[in-house]
Amino acid sequence: MENNKNIILSVKDLEVKFKVRNRVLTAIRNISLDFEEGKVVAIVGESGSGKSVFTKTFTGMLDVNGYVSKGEVWFEGKNLMNFKNDEQWLDIRGKKIATVFQDPMTSLNPVRTIGYQISEVIIKHQGKSKDEAKKEAISLMERVGIYNAEQRYNEYPFMYSGGMRQRIVIAIALACRPKILVCDEPTTALDVTIQAQIIRLIKELAKEYGFTTIYITHDLGVVANVADVVAVMYAGQIIEVGTVEEIFYTPKHPYTWGLLSSLPQLGEKGNELFSILGTPPSLFEEIKGDAFAPRSDYAMQIDFEEEPPMFKISETHYAKTWLLDERAPKVEPPKTIRNLHEKMLALTAKGGIYGER
Amino acid sequence: MKKYVFWRVVRAIIAVFVVTSIAILMVFTMIPKDKIFQQDTAQMQKLAGKPDDMTNYKYSKWKQLGYLDYQRQAEMCNSASDNYKACMATTYTTYVDEYGYEQKEYSYSEEAEKVFGAYEAKGYTINYFLSGEAYAVKEYNGLEIIFNFYKNLIVVDNPWQVQDPDNPDLERSVYFGTDANGVPALMCSGCEHNYLIYFDSNFPFVHQNIVSMNFGLSYPTYSGEQTLGVINSNQGSLVSKEQKFPNGSSGTSPNNFHTCTYKMTSTLDHMDKQKFDDNYANCNSYYSDPSMVTTSYTFGVISLILAYAIALPAGIAMARNKGKWQDKLGIVYVNIMISLPSLAFIYFLKMIGFQFGMPDKFPVLGYGNIKSYILPIIILALLSTAQVIIWIRRYMVDQSNADYVKFARAKGLSQKEIFRKHILKNAIIPIVNGIPQSIILCISGSVITETVFAIPGMGKMLPDSIKAFNNNMVITLTFIFTALSIFSILIGDILMTVVDPRIQLTAKGGD
Repeated sequence: MENNKNIILSVKDLEVKFKVRNRVLTAIRNISLDFEEGKVVAIVGESGSGKSVFTKTFTGMLDVNGYVSKGEVWFEGKNLMNFKNDEQWLDIRGKKIATVFQDPMTSLNPVRTIGYQISEVIIKHQGKSKDEAKKEAISLMERVGIYNAEQRYNEYPFMYSGGMRQRIVIAIALACRPKILVCDEPTTALDVTIQAQIIRLIKELAKEYGFTTIYITHDLGVVANVADVVAVMYAGQIIEVGTVEEIFYTPKHPYTWGLLSSLPQLGEKGNELFSILGTPPSLFEEIKGDAFAPRSDYAMQIDFEEEPPMFKISETHYAKTWLLDERAPKVEPPKTIRNLHEKMLALTAKGGIYGER
Repeated sequence: MKKYVFWRVVRAIIAVFVVTSIAILMVFTMIPKDKIFQQDTAQMQKLAGKPDDMTNYKYSKWKQLGYLDYQRQAEMCNSASDNYKACMATTYTTYVDEYGYEQKEYSYSEEAEKVFGAYEAKGYTINYFLSGEAYAVKEYNGLEIIFNFYKNLIVVDNPWQVQDPDNPDLERSVYFGTDANGVPALMCSGCEHNYLIYFDSNFPFVHQNIVSMNFGLSYPTYSGEQTLGVINSNQGSLVSKEQKFPNGSSGTSPNNFHTCTYKMTSTLDHMDKQKFDDNYANCNSYYSDPSMVTTSYTFGVISLILAYAIALPAGIAMARNKGKWQDKLGIVYVNIMISLPSLAFIYFLKMIGFQFGMPDKFPVLGYGNIKSYILPIIILALLSTAQVIIWIRRYMVDQSNADYVKFARAKGLSQKEIFRKHILKNAIIPIVNGIPQSIILCISGSVITETVFAIPGMGKMLPDSIKAFNNNMVITLTFIFTALSIFSILIGDILMTVVDPRIQLTAKGGD
């Protein structure tokens, strides 16, 4: 994490808590991460690891019972965590940092026309007139691949298929020319053929519009395909971060190993698919040591006693596990993922989902 | 859509007729027909000592109300015999009965017996007054009653409507003419009404008398009036104005000459001849106060508007500030309004209003004074706010948890914009569906409030008619309320398609 790079968004020591029925839950525990301009960052991790909550803090969209208890998020010279009310967020949210959500079927207002929902944003953020906004909205619709955009401008969301709705959602997100696009599982609700189209679309648009993309996903196939940098989250922490090659080919954290071993594509016929046993720790209680230790096959005594620091492996690769300490025994990643590179290549060569790209 | 609406209308009409038929059947066959005289005490007392007159009165009433057909001997002889005199000839012999009273034994001519026989063959039963006169009665069964009701339901006025034996030369034609003031009108000679289509200064300015609905006569309350007329025609005192009479002269009269109907020559008197040069002398009058329907409707609609004007912003504010003091205050209000018996609330507010100089009864200041309206309207409005508030709040809260709201926030819209442009339009959908119903059914009035304030409206009409065995009125109200409910639901559904593009009314289910 060097300072000479062009950092667009910088998160320092972020901690997010939620009040749930008079108890306090810590969803994000001391995350620090820098986002480089123009890069695609993928945040992976299982459900409940805090991926969505993490990105919601940049847009001030935490649920009402959630709050940032400490930490800073720097964007364009401002610490976003100092924002007191919703009005201050309006300059950032949507305008500079846009979000695409998981379910396109419900992301659009069912009783407003597609056109209205796109041009509304253009009018609001770019201050254009209704006619100009309509023109721009139509060209955006064409850009995201809607045929007959002019006619379809006045149609309602229910007249669109799921994939087309997600295109519209993307068009809306891009309507205000954001600096950062957060894609919160943008393809989970879509069928696989559409997934590939949407991912390609986001990729192309990122190049064209030059925005930084933050992907939240648990689809490692997507990650391998689009990401420059991968951050692995577990129990509200980033436990490993690195370039996509580093994460896929030389992963260091046992959780990352587990995650990669769980790729269904790596399963062999006749054998059971790999899964990480156990469940993540309760976030209501303070976690002692390494949060993953109880589920890890490689846990050592220290893992239960003290939280591991971020070990630096290379300029870009960091991992949070005691295994990297010089006193730790040398362990090899599990066999299944040792030659992941070749396996992935073999998979893609067969014409897998993400093969063509 | 068009096809769907067409079939909905067809089904609605069928439903209205089914409901009305059931009502007719119940009212006419399940209530003992003697009950209808219970409230007619004046006539009953007057006729108590005259059994023949009593019998005649009752049978005439039943005939008028459609229970049965009743013919006296004269009518029978008139229609079934060629020799009226022979048919009517009745002789009697006297004898002394076992208690020592003189009795008469009647015997009827051969001609009369023949007529009676013919009537009995048609299903009539022949009975005899104490005076010896015979009469025939045929009770209708349920189906015949229903059939007769619908047969007479719609009356289309035509030039052959009037049959006046004293005026055989009555001209029969429809023509364009002018009324006494020179305003053009479609007029008719030989029709029941003199003016078929006419214009005047009263809403809706164009009026027609061609097609009218006949639900029968009201009895025993509002005896002798058409049931529709009872609820529909103006009330209060007569209002005389200076106007031109149809025969050209002028003077003051409360008559509305546009409504004149044919009066039989035998009943025309010299008063009529002062104003009219023809037989159309049976006119409705101008009254000072609006009809029951209009009264109830005025109160209903104004209070409805007020209720929504209060409840919509309140519900929206509560949803927007869910969990904050505005919401809590609103919930307290809604709880109070729901738990408080409405009668208690009405009296409570009435007393408060009275302290501020509002009249405690409507007739104190009457129609002309705005103060008469304030209390009832506020009460009616507040009574319905709680429901509207709680539903609006509920729908808004539901909608504000929807995904599209999250995305609208992510788009950078402010909370206010999201509520105004996105949530409200979704939350209003289920409310819109009920609005036509609320508006249209204002016509039925409000029982309690109208009673407490002695407002001459529709509210008490149905319970009162049921209590008084005013059968035709019960049926009329059933018909009107059913028809209005069904059609207002249809309008509500059509309105929903306007606010919600996803809803399309199609003939086939599923698409």
